Amino acid sequence: MSRLLGRRTLLALGVAALAAVPTFANPYVVFVGNQLMLYVILAVGLNILVGYAGQLAFANAAMFGIGAYGTGLLQVHFGVPYYAAAPAGALLAMLIGLAMAWPALRLSGLYLALATLAFAQFTLWVFLHWESVTFGAGGFKVPPPSFAPLPLPSNLGIYYLSLLAMAALVAIAWNVVRSRIGRAFVAIRDGEVAAQALGIDLFRYKAIAFGMSGLYAGIAGALHSALLNYVSPEGFDLFQMVLHKAMIVVGGLGSLAGSVVGATTLTLILEALREFKSTQEIAFGALLLVFVIFMPDGIVAALKQRLQGWEEPLRRVRGRPGAAAGAEARP
Amino acid sequence: MTMLEARGLGIGFGGVRALDDVSFAVREGEIRGIIGPNGAGKTTLLNVICGLVRPDAGEVLLAGEPITGLKPNVIAGRGLGRTFQTSQLFRGMTVLENLMTGLHGETRAGLFAAAFGGRAMLAEEERAREKAWKALEFVGMERFWDRPAQALSFGQQRVVEIARTLISEPKVVLLDEPAVGLSLNRLAELDRLLRRIRDERGVTLVMIEHVIRLVMGVCDRVTVLQGGVVIAEGTPDAVIEDARVIEAYLGRRVDARRRAS
Ligand SMILES: Nc1ncnc2c1ncn2[C@@H]1O[C@H](COP(=O)(O)OP(=O)(O)OP(=O)(O)O)[C@@H](O)[C@H]1O
Ligand SMILES: [Mg+2]
Repeated sequence: MSRLLGRRTLLALGVAALAAVPTFANPYVVFVGNQLMLYVILAVGLNILVGYAGQLAFANAAMFGIGAYGTGLLQVHFGVPYYAAAPAGALLAMLIGLAMAWPALRLSGLYLALATLAFAQFTLWVFLHWESVTFGAGGFKVPPPSFAPLPLPSNLGIYYLSLLAMAALVAIAWNVVRSRIGRAFVAIRDGEVAAQALGIDLFRYKAIAFGMSGLYAGIAGALHSALLNYVSPEGFDLFQMVLHKAMIVVGGLGSLAGSVVGATTLTLILEALREFKSTQEIAFGALLLVFVIFMPDGIVAALKQRLQGWEEPLRRVRGRPGAAAGAEARP
Repeated sequence: MTMLEARGLGIGFGGVRALDDVSFAVREGEIRGIIGPNGAGKTTLLNVICGLVRPDAGEVLLAGEPITGLKPNVIAGRGLGRTFQTSQLFRGMTVLENLMTGLHGETRAGLFAAAFGGRAMLAEEERAREKAWKALEFVGMERFWDRPAQALSFGQQRVVEIARTLISEPKVVLLDEPAVGLSLNRLAELDRLLRRIRDERGVTLVMIEHVIRLVMGVCDRVTVLQGGVVIAEGTPDAVIEDARVIEAYLGRRVDARRRAS
């Protein structure tokens, strides 16, 4: 019974449900579903960096913005079609993410947090004030991408593209964290000195973690620009950053299932609170407090205590190794 | 053959000369003890050898090759393992995963192989798992393979940490106070384990230790540090009778005698 409530089953059901949503739901629900998928991508990417590799970085919303601005501006200024502009925007975010590994080699903890926060504020400043390129505070419109010859209107095309990207990116993250690379991330998080003594190159693995989370945020940004057909600075501000962080904390740090659960929970709560208008952010903050107080290690840690199938090993080959395993199986 | 050699190592922190002209040579297959009062510079010496601290004078040779100034992960790859004064197991991993992490330098899968998980990558993971299991068997900890590292007792963590450095088949392992906090029974087990590591695995050991009983029991030779300077070196029996060592340990000697008997 509890197996049925396991992580894999629920994830497969979630993807199937999301795939079916456009066949019965109204455009508003489709839009929220699409946003949910982008948040899952953002939370998974951020959790790799913060939860697994232990790098307290605060630039995820900026990377998200760089992906969106890169994609949008390439289309508007140079007439690059969406299918080329989107990967370019995502790659730009990845490269800037990679560059951040350099300060991360020298800074850690709160210093890294401050440096990345400063970078995020600088990015926002550029979005706001480099008006000749970014169109300033008002933002700019981007043309809806065409999915011809597929018989899909633009919004459904983006919806299914997002679903595909989310499924692929979650699967890739799931494979990476269960490999020697994921173990290197956790080793760096739990003890940099011991990690080095075991032959782990800190710069290399910090760079991989920053690059991956930059790429994930950049892909989400590229999809976001097409989802809204509009890009403006306020989508990538401090509230957005706090939102991503809150998703991985509420779901569970160092847990991919936690990223998915956290992103889903907070997206739905935000939508539910939309009616409260001006008090939305206060109510949201209060709810966050409730989560942190009652489930300090995240929803997934609480689930793990009650249900089977929520463990997340850091290796692909499961079960007990060694010759003894065969002997044990005999009657 | 000389397996590990330090030549004129020196390092200062501010005004303190933590190491000054430290030289010694460890033969292949030797168990070398490093003793000395608190603050003598023993841990600093290991940090310099394994590349965590860069010396301002002197050099280190591993199997005849200079390794001074290389990054610690590169030195580890050359065959130098290390344990720490306080346990450094990765808390968020199980025992088996900790050991598999010890194989980092030997495994090869890159980001793409990991992300798309081909057959070669899976086979490599399988081999890593078997090897980790064997290393656990070697130290007699296989029962605990699936426990979170932090659930182990202090002594168990030490042993797993030793297994984690052995798994990559290093030439030399540096141990920083492996016996700290162990009961007498455990001490005898550690004594046996250290000999087996040398005899069955052919690993050269350099061990900082305050527990004189263990030093007297397993070490072939002992180097004594005080104030960052080597003040004596020789067999454990000779060193313990050395006048300068007795002076450095003044007040500790009686204690050492009692533990040794
Ligand atoms: N990173 C550092 N910065 C400044 N001083 C240091 C540093 N590392 C060590 N020292 C100083 O160097 C000296 C030697 O310290 P070390 O830790 O090597 O001693 P030890 O012999 O290992 O002592 P113990 O038996 O207490 O472990 C001490 O005076 C210590 O304060
Ligand atoms: Mg010490």
